[in-house]
Amino acid sequence: MSEVYLFQLASQRTQWLNARQAIIAANVANANTPGFRAQDLAPFSSVLDNTAASMSVTDPSHIEPATSELNAFQANAEDGADTTLSGNSVNLESEMIKIGDISREASAANAIKKTFHQMMLAALK
Amino acid sequence: MQDPLQASLKIAGSGLEAQASRLRIISQNIANSQSTASTPGGDPYVRQTVAFDSEMDRAAGVALVRVKSIGEDTAPFKVEQDPGNPAADSAGFVKLPNVDVLTELADMREANRTYEANLQVAKQSSDMLNQTISLLKDV
Repeated sequence: MSEVYLFQLASQRTQWLNARQAIIAANVANANTPGFRAQDLAPFSSVLDNTAASMSVTDPSHIEPATSELNAFQANAEDGADTTLSGNSVNLESEMIKIGDISREASAANAIKKTFHQMMLAALK
Repeated sequence: MQDPLQASLKIAGSGLEAQASRLRIISQNIANSQSTASTPGGDPYVRQTVAFDSEMDRAAGVALVRVKSIGEDTAPFKVEQDPGNPAADSAGFVKLPNVDVLTELADMREANRTYEANLQVAKQSSDMLNQTISLLKDV
């Protein structure tokens, strides 16, 4: 981890938010598909726990730990309390709340990036 | 791997498309809710049904939605005694379509609701893309 890791943290956060947006989009698109189970990503804190303390490769026989790509974020099938008769567990209202959250959090992550960038520029001037 | 935001735009697009074709079938059903046969004793318009299916997009690794099939409702036709109707059989009975307008209206509301939700997702995905691009402004 470098000393200026805030950019890395913020872009990881954005990556996670983008991946979550794709999952929610799939949920909404399949809101009327029989047998479709709603999915969600593992919380960002758990992603952070996994990547922050990753093992280093000190021997050629070691297997390199997986990087935090979209595929590494686990999509969990939610236990929807309201599964319809057709086996669909998507709840449009809660999905709308989730994309509202994502929008707000994406704005925050972008604001952090912008502010930090300005701070670095101020130091350079 | 494809950009997740581009992928969500694609997914929302597939959702809009699916709901739009559903709406097309619903309007077809409502428009033909009184369409009788053109020959005496013949079968009237048969209610059409839409089935959705989740389709895996291999490139993006996400679940799109598509219209699996457009089928026909197997419910029996309504029968009415109307000897003067050109479609009436020898006993004077006319077969009317198995379309219930109230069911179609309820279905239409659901299609509308899901369409709006997909539109919201598409709107927000493009907002997020724009936000990222606007990071480059005023630097």
